[in-house]
Amino acid sequence: MAHILPVADTTPEPVIRFHGQDFVPLLSGALFWPEADALLVADLHLEKHSSFARSGQLLPPYDTGLTLARLARDLDETAAKTVIALGDSFHRDEGSSTLLEADRTRLAAMLEALEWYWIAGNHDPAPHRLGGLCCAEISIAGCSLRHEPRRGTPGLIAGHLHPAARIALNGRSTRRPCFAWDDEMLILPAYGASTGSLNILSPAFAGLFDRTRLRVAMLGRDRIYPVGAHLLVHG
Amino acid sequence: MTSLSPIVSDWFASRGWQARAHQLAVLAAERAGNSVLLIAPTGAGKTLAGFLPSIEDLIANPIDGLHTLYISPLKALAVDVARNLGDPVRQMGLGIRIETRTGDTPASRRQRQRFAPPHILMTTPEQLALLLSHPDSVRLFGSLRRIVLDELHALVTSKRGDLLSLGVARLAKLAPQVTITALSATVAQPEVLRDWIAAPIAPRPAVLVEAPGGAAPQLGILKTEERLPWAGHSAAYAVPDLYETIKHNGTTLLFVNTRSQAEALFQNLWAINEDGLPIALHHGSLSVEQRRKVESAMVDNRLRAVVCTSTLDLGIDWGDVDLVIQIGAPKGASRMLQRIGRANHRLDEPSRALFVPANRFEVLECEAALEAVAGGAQDSETPLPGGLDVLAQHILGLACADPLDADATYAEITSAWPYKDLPRPKFDRVLDFVSTGGYALRAYERFAKLRKTADGLWRIANPQIAQQYRLNVGTIVEEPMLKVRLVRARGNRQGATTGPIGRGGRVLGEIEEYFIDQLVRGDTFMFGGEIVAFEGVVETEAYVSRSFSDNPKIPAYMGGRFPLSTFLAEKVRKILADPAGWHVLPDQVREWLDLQNYASVLPDSDSLLVETFPRADKHYMVCYPFEGRLAHQTLGMLLTRRLERARAQPLGFVASDYSLAIWCASDLGALIESGRLSLDHLFDEDMLGDDLETWLDESALMKRTFRNCAIISGLIERRHPGKEKSGRQITMSSDIIYDVLYQHEPDHILIEATRRDAARGLLDIERLGAALRRIRRHIRHKRLDRISPLAVPVLLDIGKEPIFGEAREAVLREAAEDLIAEAMDFGPHPSRR
Repeated sequence: MAHILPVADTTPEPVIRFHGQDFVPLLSGALFWPEADALLVADLHLEKHSSFARSGQLLPPYDTGLTLARLARDLDETAAKTVIALGDSFHRDEGSSTLLEADRTRLAAMLEALEWYWIAGNHDPAPHRLGGLCCAEISIAGCSLRHEPRRGTPGLIAGHLHPAARIALNGRSTRRPCFAWDDEMLILPAYGASTGSLNILSPAFAGLFDRTRLRVAMLGRDRIYPVGAHLLVHG
Repeated sequence: MTSLSPIVSDWFASRGWQARAHQLAVLAAERAGNSVLLIAPTGAGKTLAGFLPSIEDLIANPIDGLHTLYISPLKALAVDVARNLGDPVRQMGLGIRIETRTGDTPASRRQRQRFAPPHILMTTPEQLALLLSHPDSVRLFGSLRRIVLDELHALVTSKRGDLLSLGVARLAKLAPQVTITALSATVAQPEVLRDWIAAPIAPRPAVLVEAPGGAAPQLGILKTEERLPWAGHSAAYAVPDLYETIKHNGTTLLFVNTRSQAEALFQNLWAINEDGLPIALHHGSLSVEQRRKVESAMVDNRLRAVVCTSTLDLGIDWGDVDLVIQIGAPKGASRMLQRIGRANHRLDEPSRALFVPANRFEVLECEAALEAVAGGAQDSETPLPGGLDVLAQHILGLACADPLDADATYAEITSAWPYKDLPRPKFDRVLDFVSTGGYALRAYERFAKLRKTADGLWRIANPQIAQQYRLNVGTIVEEPMLKVRLVRARGNRQGATTGPIGRGGRVLGEIEEYFIDQLVRGDTFMFGGEIVAFEGVVETEAYVSRSFSDNPKIPAYMGGRFPLSTFLAEKVRKILADPAGWHVLPDQVREWLDLQNYASVLPDSDSLLVETFPRADKHYMVCYPFEGRLAHQTLGMLLTRRLERARAQPLGFVASDYSLAIWCASDLGALIESGRLSLDHLFDEDMLGDDLETWLDESALMKRTFRNCAIISGLIERRHPGKEKSGRQITMSSDIIYDVLYQHEPDHILIEATRRDAARGLLDIERLGAALRRIRRHIRHKRLDRISPLAVPVLLDIGKEPIFGEAREAVLREAAEDLIAEAMDFGPHPSRR
């Protein structure tokens, strides 16, 4: 077995320019929007493990805590005043009522301090009373923010599909969650600690993007990597 | 003298046979109420030895329930043994009912067997676990008199052995009168196996019966006029010699170490098969139908040769095998001996075997193995303490059968040999894990699977839990596999990554997902005896098309490699250190070693040779621990971390079974000679402390090990009622679960189980530790101005071996650089520029 070690790298941090706005993609999978002073996160899937536990698979009850800690770090770093959660914030509607005490307290503190929008997702369609505003869709600065992507809404920012990209180079390949966008639409990677991902070449993405205008930014370990669509492969 | 009943002795007489001494010895021991470990070679009448006591007892004391439970590692073997035993029982005119129970047995018959069992039931460890999870197991096994465990040596070193030991401990409690007869091939430490079977029936003893061995095998190493390769495992040079050998012998089994070697050899033999000899291929990735076809052709004596992997190490006897050929390194003496035993000879005739080294180091290894096998030396693994994941599965199974008393269960479990030293607190943690997940954060009391009721007994919370348990029983966790389907090529359109792939071809077999993961469309590899091109993954299938290239681009996939045994490694070190014995070696190998002695020095048996030399623009360090690939790989990971801290700028490493090469940007030789880098410190055993911990945090090997533990322990289900979960889905989620759990509770019982498995499995830390202790302060540094002859093989492996870990990040970086070169548009969008 062979093993190759990394060399230092010096390329600049990328900025995503979409629909006339600048966005900063974060390593965690969040998207910071400086002009709106907002942090966008998609698919937190809070309380996913506890919902598995109900059906007999007692997965570690720490996923919600990790996701909230990650969120707190991002908010700290960006000093964003607003949080917009793009749907599937809870793995099930009941999730908002199964939070453990520590998680509930932590979330309440964030909700208290910030302007917060919960966009409804297919996993959590019902509104809840945790605080913040529950809604189906939001428009800000010409961009539409909703859970599920769809064609025909220029400036749409969405989640739902958990995009990942696999690239291949010189016979080796690597797969990571990614931001993916074209001129019309931007899809965020899933943010939750317990979420999986789906290759953007898989059928679920069919017809969503204009392949000739598709851009991808993959989440590396220490930085974000812009990647050309010609390098994308299946799997 | 042990006397046989008239029916049985008449039967022997009518055949003109006599009961053999070891068969009578087993009978005598059983009649005295003792259990027995019978060690006997193939063809020694083991089956009859195992069942003679049952026949005798059923004649003397007929009963109407289950009398004997036979457990084998292979269902094919269970079926075969049932047939072989059925014949004499019928000929004796006895009304003894014999049945098998495997995964293939129809549900209706399995159901009936629980209520109206046969006298003798042939089954597997997993089926035993299933039977024990039913409340009626008390009644079913209450009448049991005997347990017969076949091929026990093959079971005890695995988690299946752990599961079996717990099942047997349960049986010994349900049927206190039961005796155990275990059948085994020759092993290094038979007394450990004897203790293994005696533990659950203590204080009653188990005795050891050894059948006389057969004639000594005739062994040889292939002599060749061809040039012996420096590196590689294909033994392509030997193919013409092998073909001639096949032509001039009866049925020949050609054993290789990996599936890709099997593919390559099969391909090469057919390329020169001008006589159209029936030569077949058999390995674990081929579809079951294909394997069955080869097996039945073999039984019918229709084949001249079969190229096979360890899939044919065990199992039923194949027709008349005339010659066994081992291609590539034998890796262990006991494994070799068993393979040689596959030549289904009569006991008084020697079996014949030929070793074919694939490279120069393997010549040394073959020589060592030859000596070991001829001397009857054994290096089989000994069983280890039992896995906590298996224990968790078993505890849930017990609770499914009956409310469980923790004290009684602990006593029962520690009567199983692998768990004899299990401390009570650990047992309690496993019980807690089964009940509520065992988390420090007590979040799941309301979802508990087991609840302690007022009478102090643990009960399953609802009947679905038993149903889920039964769907997920067993310890064999397959690598996530993808079906390989042959389709039409997608054509060569430029950039055709999204075009339709032809559908509906035939399935060639299954392949490990991690192998497919590293392929890019168009990559060619060998599978099922032909070269195919990778087309893409569609759901859980890998699509491939027929390729017309001569050489597969991707050389190897690794299924089934065993590391070199410690015992053989020591012998190889001895051969190297003793030039007086080199006269048995081929000229080319002797010259190679002479040259090494001249250009550098030879590694000796009690120190570690470390060579440093420059090559191109890099500086290399090559060491020769001879501890097997897994241990070397772990050593490579840890040494590069240390070298990084020492600012030696390590760039990469490659490990083989014999040596490890690391390359750096800094001049290592100069650093060592000037005293700025101490080899004693570099190789200090303390690397197994913090460095190991930090590395484990990120290691993909830990995640792979965790996946197994999570599945076996029941944290993740393989199957959920009504839902099938594919391997692909499990892999993704188990990695995520590991990350979540490790970050929050790194001392959780399941992480502990994973760590233990990894230490003795994929990371081989125990062996590395022993090696580091052995060489402490015995490191010889040789600073050279160029590569040494002994270093050539491992350096040739660079670029051929798959790459893991950091390299994944490097792909991203290169891709990004590639992009920057293309001035990809991060920043102002071109349409708005």
